[in-house]
Amino acid sequence: MTDSISIYIERIIEFAPRLLDSLWETGIMLFFAMLAAILLGIPVGTLLYLTADTRPMANRFVNRLLNILVNVIRSFPFLLLVVAMQPFVRQVYGRATGDPIAASFPMVVIAIALYARFVEQSLMEVPKGIIETAKSMGATNWQLVWKFLYVEARSSLVIGFTTAVISFVSYSTIMGVVGGGGIGDFAIRFGYQRYETDIMYTAIVLIIVLVEIFQWLGLALARKLDKR
Amino acid sequence: MIQLRQIEKTFFSKNQTLAALTDISLDIKTGEAFGVIGESGAGKSTLLRMINALETPDAGSVTVDGVDLTHLSKKDLRMEQKQIGMIFQQFNLLNNKTVAENIRLPLTLHNYDQTLTVDEVLDFVGLSDKKHSYPQQLSGGQKQRVGIARALITRPKLLLCDEPTSALDQNTTEDIVAVLKKAHREFKMTIVVVTHELPVIKALCTRAALMEYGKVRQIVDITRSEDKLTDRPYLERAIEVLTSD
Repeated sequence: MTDSISIYIERIIEFAPRLLDSLWETGIMLFFAMLAAILLGIPVGTLLYLTADTRPMANRFVNRLLNILVNVIRSFPFLLLVVAMQPFVRQVYGRATGDPIAASFPMVVIAIALYARFVEQSLMEVPKGIIETAKSMGATNWQLVWKFLYVEARSSLVIGFTTAVISFVSYSTIMGVVGGGGIGDFAIRFGYQRYETDIMYTAIVLIIVLVEIFQWLGLALARKLDKR
Repeated sequence: MIQLRQIEKTFFSKNQTLAALTDISLDIKTGEAFGVIGESGAGKSTLLRMINALETPDAGSVTVDGVDLTHLSKKDLRMEQKQIGMIFQQFNLLNNKTVAENIRLPLTLHNYDQTLTVDEVLDFVGLSDKKHSYPQQLSGGQKQRVGIARALITRPKLLLCDEPTSALDQNTTEDIVAVLKKAHREFKMTIVVVTHELPVIKALCTRAALMEYGKVRQIVDITRSEDKLTDRPYLERAIEVLTSD
């Protein structure tokens, strides 16, 4: 028993540098996905909300266009999205395989579409009376969004973001197929393809711990922000 | 102050059309406390929402202080709306902001020349001790006081009240009516109150329009023997009502 434990510890120490590298790669992919979700997912989701029928910026054309874009991206099987984006990534970034930044392009695309939908749903939960109040005060649409909608939806926006990030972790595990690396790729290469089961389970446990941390942080922040 | 001329408004939904307002013409004088009364569905809220352009008429004109709201650019319309205060049946406070932040909110949207301070309006509505509370921690009557304070802080020339007491019990209703009366006396703005509660109109207004099926049936001058508005506790009145025949 003590023998097998010490063997395991030795193997972990042996694999630790590669494990840390792969965590770093996952971090890069998650970073770009989160950045895109915030910088572009929030505006797209807000536009989805504002341009729908009877809303302050009702515009059937824009609304339908955004809806189709978001739906197409989200219904794409992610592996196929990754492959389909290869020519585009090569064009823009110079290379499409072999590093986590190239692998971040499809992550960014799915992150925007996924979080935009969550943002739209969060805004829909804000009572209609709040919008009416903003309009009665002569608020601009910009003020309506920043001083009313985001204020009332903020904890829901954080919870949606948490759920989205956890999906990003899951999406990132596929990126090995284009040489993007990451913890998921590590688990498959060393654990699955080389039958080093203990290393695979270690990687999986790390992923679970990662997800738990995100979930805990997200809920704690959402609870702190919620005064309703 | 307010002139409504031949207002028409129809709402279309999937399988029906509803004539919400038919041929409404109405004059409300500066400084007046004007009531609009009718059963639910009579069109009184729609009428009120015309006055600050939350609704636009299909035909007719809405003139407030000499400005025709139906022909304004969005920017000019906002400049008119900023001078009109409004309070709501459901209070419509931001639950994630404190009482003080809620009250200050209108001041963060526009520049105003002459405003009151948060402390002044809180004192006026009698909620100074709740300044840093969140709406969640307040009773319905207290929430409406915050709503009134939020409307008063900009010194509006016109205050619109959409069923201000319909979510409140009777004693709280009288408290709110008293606060509105005091506001009218002190700040001398024009007030328009929409409600189905007759005693509210009777206590607060000097004239009222009676609405039915989207039409103004009659405009009446309200007479009242000076301020019978009672301040007696709920239990005392309950006993009186239940034991007298």
